[in-house]
Amino acid sequence: MSKYFDYDIIVVGAGHAGSEAAAAAARIGARTLLITMNLEAIGKMSCNPAIGGIGKGQIAREIDALGGIMGRITDYAGIQFRMLNKKKGPAVWSPRAQCDRQLYAQGVRRELESIEKLYMRADTVTEILVTEGCVQGVRTQLGREYSAGAVILTSGTFMNGTIHIGEKQFGGGRMGEKASSGVTASLQEMGFESGRLKTGTPPRVDGRTIDYQSVEEQPGDPEASPFSFMTDALPKKQRCCWLTYTNATVHDILRTGFDRSPMFVGRIQGQGPRYCPSIEDKIDRFADKDRHQLFLEPEGWHTEEVYVNGFSTSLPEETQSEALRSVAGLENVHMLRPGYAIEYDYFPPYQVRYSLETKRVDRLYFAGQINGTTGYEEAAAQGIMAGINAARSLKDLPPIVLSRSEAYIGVLIDDLVAKGTDEPYRMFTSRAEHRILLRQDNSDSRLTPLGRDIGLVDDERMKRFDERQEAIRQTRINVESATISPEVINDYLASVGTSSIEQPEKLTKLAVRPQVSLKNIIDYAKLREEIVVEGPGLEAVETLVEIELKYAGYVKREQALVAQMVKLDSFPIPRNIDFSRLDHIAMEAREKLNKIQPESIGQASRISGVSPADISVLMVMLKKRQLGSHAD
Amino acid sequence: MTPIDGDTIVARATARGIAAIAMIRLSGPDALDIAQNCFSGTDLSAKESHTAHVGFMQSVLKNDLDQVVVTIFRAPKTVTGENVVEITCHGGELVSHRILDAIIQAGARPAEPGEFTQRAFLNGKMDLAQAEAVSELIHSGSRRAHTISLAHLKGSYSVLLHDLREEMLDMCGFIELELDFAEEDVEFADKARLSDLLERTKALLKRLIESYRYGAVVRDGIRIVLAGRPNAGKSTLLNALVGFDRAIVSEIPGTTRDEIGEEAEYEGIRLRFMDTAGLRKSGDEIESEGVRRAEASIRKADVLMYVYDATIGLEEEEREFLDDLKKNESDLHIFVVRNKCDLLDGETAVDGEHSLSALRAMNDESLVIPLLSDIVKSVEEDDSYGEGSYVVTNERHRYHLGEAYEAIVSAMNGLSADMTGEVIALDLRLAMKELGAITGATATEEILDRIFSRFCIGK
Ligand SMILES: Cc1cc2nc3c(=O)[nH]c(=O)nc-3n(C[C@H](O)[C@H](O)[C@H](O)COP(=O)(O)OP(=O)(O)OC[C@H]3O[C@@H](n4cnc5c(N)ncnc54)[C@H](O)[C@@H]3O)c2cc1C
Ligand SMILES: Nc1nc2c(ncn2[C@@H]2O[C@H](COP(=O)(O)OP(=O)(O)OP(=O)(O)O)[C@@H](O)[C@H]2O)c(=O)[nH]1
Ligand SMILES: [Mg+2]
Repeated sequence: MSKYFDYDIIVVGAGHAGSEAAAAAARIGARTLLITMNLEAIGKMSCNPAIGGIGKGQIAREIDALGGIMGRITDYAGIQFRMLNKKKGPAVWSPRAQCDRQLYAQGVRRELESIEKLYMRADTVTEILVTEGCVQGVRTQLGREYSAGAVILTSGTFMNGTIHIGEKQFGGGRMGEKASSGVTASLQEMGFESGRLKTGTPPRVDGRTIDYQSVEEQPGDPEASPFSFMTDALPKKQRCCWLTYTNATVHDILRTGFDRSPMFVGRIQGQGPRYCPSIEDKIDRFADKDRHQLFLEPEGWHTEEVYVNGFSTSLPEETQSEALRSVAGLENVHMLRPGYAIEYDYFPPYQVRYSLETKRVDRLYFAGQINGTTGYEEAAAQGIMAGINAARSLKDLPPIVLSRSEAYIGVLIDDLVAKGTDEPYRMFTSRAEHRILLRQDNSDSRLTPLGRDIGLVDDERMKRFDERQEAIRQTRINVESATISPEVINDYLASVGTSSIEQPEKLTKLAVRPQVSLKNIIDYAKLREEIVVEGPGLEAVETLVEIELKYAGYVKREQALVAQMVKLDSFPIPRNIDFSRLDHIAMEAREKLNKIQPESIGQASRISGVSPADISVLMVMLKKRQLGSHAD
Repeated sequence: MTPIDGDTIVARATARGIAAIAMIRLSGPDALDIAQNCFSGTDLSAKESHTAHVGFMQSVLKNDLDQVVVTIFRAPKTVTGENVVEITCHGGELVSHRILDAIIQAGARPAEPGEFTQRAFLNGKMDLAQAEAVSELIHSGSRRAHTISLAHLKGSYSVLLHDLREEMLDMCGFIELELDFAEEDVEFADKARLSDLLERTKALLKRLIESYRYGAVVRDGIRIVLAGRPNAGKSTLLNALVGFDRAIVSEIPGTTRDEIGEEAEYEGIRLRFMDTAGLRKSGDEIESEGVRRAEASIRKADVLMYVYDATIGLEEEEREFLDDLKKNESDLHIFVVRNKCDLLDGETAVDGEHSLSALRAMNDESLVIPLLSDIVKSVEEDDSYGEGSYVVTNERHRYHLGEAYEAIVSAMNGLSADMTGEVIALDLRLAMKELGAITGATATEEILDRIFSRFCIGK
């Protein structure tokens, strides 16, 4: 770098996006300054102290496979672990962990403090400094200016945050924390478009006032699955959660607060997530449902604070508390903190490239909630990618862009960049058309080698990875060559309701039957020692081999589809094309293309409103330009 | 519809309609292999580029469809820059249509509008100046083909497609609901419910696909041959049917010798009439040739209008001739027209025959309406398409519906084999994708929308 900067990279905000971004950038070698409003709030979980869940658990594992921090901290801070969707196929198995909120934040902070070249500073950024379309640094509330080669903005729900509880309304980025202002205005001045989104959180209650006799217990999995490929053991002890339901009385009480609901009277303008509706929304829209499920989730090992999952609300505090007391098991409950809704600024994500660098200002990156997502995992995923790409840009290396067939992270960023979002975006497995390839079990083989190339995977992780891959390879060979005779296995086959065999049969033939589990056959036939080569990591090696076997046909089919898309994605569209001049493209498509400025034909084809015919015309026009420039 | 798909496309290269010959063109890496699969002649793979070969095109069941000339062109020196095969067959819709069908079955995909030209352009086979023209072609072509949105499709066909899409969205919604929201307190579709939805979708698809046969009638029209004894009034009837003096009429028996074709439209359906030489044994060589042709035409027709003179009556020989046809040409619809009823005293009718006066009909079109309406009705019904309102007429649509059908069948098999939801979802997605080629693509958002609007989701 010719110019002297105070730091290579500045990360604004130490939420989940900012922490991953700073960790990644610094570990790749960039001198990184992490500026955040409050050092005590580093890695804080604003809402539910849980990581993972369907679609999100896969992301968390991908972040871990790349060398990120989320997976390890979750294993460290987890108080209950479950693998969701275990009854469905492995493509949708999703790990989830309930965490100790304080332990999690503490873990993140300790992790960041252990990274060389990562510096922290408590302050509030009020302005992004830009000259000639390139970021120069930031200005802060304390009046300091810090210069840097790249800036990553991860300010979450804090920019012009407004908290609503009933008729009360005040500025704040999270309950008990101030909102930040200035940054939105400075970006708007440069031409950025901003919007408002909304989200909400439920009340917390005192566990000592819950009648645990009248609620259902929900234990964790006896054999818990960790998030990190680096974890060898999880705590034996787990805390359990509880399940209860609302009822007609609860709904009636809630309705008495509707006339003071900021949502219903229109005080809240921002769009909220439909998959995370408030309890008032649920009873309003699904009036015929006479009860809603509530999970009571402990907030940590050593606290009585309990999170009332399913009861997100911004109704007046008295209404919340009165309604809760009509829920079975909560008759005498004491509310510790009320639920609330929060509105905040975001920047519609068509304004960033696949690298998460903004299109308008070079070396300025956006990650996390400000790109219109919701959720820790979604934020962290963008954070790690922004950190990687900012660090690479300073070394003049091309950005790392994960494709939709490589990772959920690729699906997430492609959805944001190619389609944009006008409600808080959450991941679902159904968003990933190639989800059969993107499993939580294989995230290491998909991403760890890449993480190594990037410089985020250290020797220890790489060694474990290699050992594990080798164990899988050996086990696969053993499985493929094994044969089982009828007298050994027929009882087992009968017990799971599948036909018996007459003659010795190849193990692979039996393992592909839907009813059969490879692990069980191996144990039943006492073949473990012969077949299974143990490797590091908690998940059974033979389960992986089994998944590969059972999905083999489908995986092949998917890969053919992926190959088609890869070709389209590798057909680049030069920057700064004026699409409005392409006469033969439909008007709607022209407008969308101009706004989004796709980087490849593949991206253009995924923009809604752009038809296959438009794509053909576009390709022809690009080819024409190419020919034209050769002719010059 | 991008050339980098690397698949092989096919389409008719000559305009639709009646012409002496028609040409069907394939382009793509597998053009030769696919053509070979339907070709009974020589081994094409052993032949040089730019050579022509005579042989028979065959259906999947290896029935001969037509004698054709197959010309092969190997990449890159071809119109599109890819392997190209041109099949020249006899003119006529039915023939080229059946050949197209066979080729699609053998693995080619019906070309999208403008796709040949686009491939040619992208492979550097056209110059710069033509680029504008190409994109315009794609643009207008795609509009013409109504590929973009449902709104462009007319009538109840679009209603049915819409219903189909709704059913599929529901199904995807149910499957995804269970995969993405397993932890929620909602009722998931059980196996019976799902297989019921699948059955319904399958049935809808089947109806649409089957309508394609009837679609052939809408597309290609009905071929109606007028035949009968000399002087029965065939040419007069033809003129009455088409509304102008197309054929020479005279009281001399044996006036018509060459076949005379003319078209008319009835309720949007193309009627393709063919007047023929009167059937009799004749010493006249030209007339005998005419008779021979008339008999050949009857065998190729959809409908035979057999005309006789009511003042003479139907002779024994004629009855035998008609009985023979009924026995041997099961696909042929026969209508017996009892002509010249104006010369009879009093209105007598004969069951199963149409009594009329072609002479009067010359001045009063309404007299032939009952006959026409009976003809159209019987042809439609015969195409096992009672209502006749859902009609797929576009090969490309048929193709995509067929692929969707396969995917649904595969999903049903998966369900009965106890496969888990994510695997069944693969097939459903494939089916949605195929349907999307007709109705416009479906975004995941739409499926999620459906879930959120119907189920109370979220914590
Ligand atoms: C009330 C509420 C309810 C939520 N409900 C859910 C839910 O139900 N499910 C779910 O998945 N997610 C929920 N979330 C979202 C989840 O908390 C966020 O998606 C996630 O934390 C976003 O991570 P982030 O890193 O982008 O931002 P945050 O975690 O919000 O972190 C932002 C960080 O930036 C700092 N910061 C902001 N501005 C500045 C500045 N100018 N200068 C310096 N530092 C700054 C802040 O101090 C903070 O540390 C909720 C959030 C809130 C607030
Ligand atoms: N009265 C009366 N005469 C008719 C009618 N239809 C045809 N004719 C007359 O019958 C004669 C023969 O008619 P065409 O139409 O030439 O008969 P055709 O069957 O085409 O005869 P060929 O071409 O010789 O086989 C003509 O003089 C017609 O005017 C009818 O409905 N009523
Ligand atoms: Mg005649």
